[in-house]
Amino acid sequence: METLTIKETISDVLESILEHNNFEMHDELTAKDVDGWDSLSHMIIITKIEEAFNIKFKLRDLNKLKNMGSLVSVIQNKI
Amino acid sequence: MNLTFEIQSSIFANYSNNAFYISNKYYTYKDFSQIISNIRSTIKKSAKKTECFVGLITNDDIHTYASIIALWLEGKAYVPLNPEFPLDRNLSVIKQANIVTILDSSSEKTFSSFNSIMTKTLSDSEVDLTPVEISDNDFAYIFFTSGTTGTPKGVPITFGNLSGFIEAQWALNYTITENDRCLQMFELTFDLSVVSYLAPILKGACVYTIPKDEIKYSYIFELMEDHELTYSLMVPSILHYLRPYFDEINCPSMKFSLFCGEALPLDVTEEWSKCIPNATIANVYGPTECTIYCMDYTYKRNSENKTHNGVLTIGKNMLNTSTIIVDDDNNEVETGKEGELCLSGVQLTPGYWKNEKKNKQVFFDKHHNGKNTRFYRTGDLCCADKDGDVLYLGRVDFQAKIQGFRVELSEIEFHVKATLNKMNAVAVAFTNSIHNTEIGLVIESKPINTKELLDNLNEKLPKYMIPTQIKFADSFPLNSNGKTDRNKLTKLFTK
Repeated sequence: METLTIKETISDVLESILEHNNFEMHDELTAKDVDGWDSLSHMIIITKIEEAFNIKFKLRDLNKLKNMGSLVSVIQNKI
Repeated sequence: MNLTFEIQSSIFANYSNNAFYISNKYYTYKDFSQIISNIRSTIKKSAKKTECFVGLITNDDIHTYASIIALWLEGKAYVPLNPEFPLDRNLSVIKQANIVTILDSSSEKTFSSFNSIMTKTLSDSEVDLTPVEISDNDFAYIFFTSGTTGTPKGVPITFGNLSGFIEAQWALNYTITENDRCLQMFELTFDLSVVSYLAPILKGACVYTIPKDEIKYSYIFELMEDHELTYSLMVPSILHYLRPYFDEINCPSMKFSLFCGEALPLDVTEEWSKCIPNATIANVYGPTECTIYCMDYTYKRNSENKTHNGVLTIGKNMLNTSTIIVDDDNNEVETGKEGELCLSGVQLTPGYWKNEKKNKQVFFDKHHNGKNTRFYRTGDLCCADKDGDVLYLGRVDFQAKIQGFRVELSEIEFHVKATLNKMNAVAVAFTNSIHNTEIGLVIESKPINTKELLDNLNEKLPKYMIPTQIKFADSFPLNSNGKTDRNKLTKLFTK
């Protein structure tokens, strides 16, 4: 899947959970930069991303998700 | 027990052992003692002898832990200040505790208008870990917890309280030795952090911390597996996060796995026990007012465990605590009847800091076992069975636990109402789909834009106290007593 398509899907997930789209989908984007993306919503976001791509992250994958770029590449390796 | 002398002798006895593992780096007890000594000599020069309470910026680094020990060796108490908390809240704590000096390991001063000691840039001084003489009544720390009136309330803990706790902790026989690797997952503003660093230091074991920018539950898992941790104390919400991944976890090295801070459900515990096949699992309980924890129950593998609504019993009082369950008039209730759990013993705080009104409400004297005894009302509704095991039933007031942090719902309402002119609002705690507790806010109004409200709350309250969902109701439902029906409002979030 194209990086751009992956990013669009992630962006939709974020918007649906956080109820805003005040973020830009660049590779260096981290949870800290996005309002409402905290430890509580993180779990829900991860689950929704898993559903959207029909993948399952390993516990070890979660620590690699440092920013948007790494999230996209972990997803790319799974689909 | 002389706590500070024991810290000194343990550090010297384990000089070449690893003391801390922080952000992928080990520090030996020798490294630790050097940093403690550097900070200590600066405290001697820079802080007045009469200064009892010193602020501590709670970063995740060796200098912050060394600062605590340095203060204790000087007979001073620390007051943790989380740099991520709103400025207003930290300033309220600083004012209440009369803080003049702040130990700060950041690269730039967190608070500009105080006597900051920048602990990261001090030059080496001679190693000196000999404690000054202290009494049991001297303070070791003050932790501030959520208060009902919008101001955080301080719980001071003395060296006598802390020594009593450590003695009771050893008596549990959840043994730690110099070969152990122990988890420290707590913010230093949360008192479960104290046992998580202090118990390992007293035995020469190694403390593993969680960097602030990591996702806690997945980082804990990597530490457990990659570093073969042997001892952990966690809040049960970590288990709820890990639960979908339990089949990936196998940690035979874990010897003791303790839980505290929230209700521990039996079903998750059973599943967790398979991830740590060789560990003893325990549910410990206690409020900050009774020094970290004071009751304990050891989970039984392969046999019946006592529960209420699926939640494990909190067991029996530890060595230095006695418990009673009372009715509204402080009379003990019969075995099996519900009432409020009350605690007494050497772990009990001398009382809230400069808050006589609150002290009168929750501390009381009662003739017990032949002598006059001071008790603390926990606000926890409990009952005891015929074996003396205590079951937790719920709260008697509107306090909630968010990831182990105590939250007075009325404190949130106070700040909401202060922002929303004359609108009524109720904060409720509800259980989300992964069984963790979240805070919901219901505003009695047509839907309004809540951005300004949330911005304002973020300036007043720590992150964990900010409502995660907001709903609106034209008018609040009332219960049969004519009071706002909080149960009905809670259901708005759980449907």
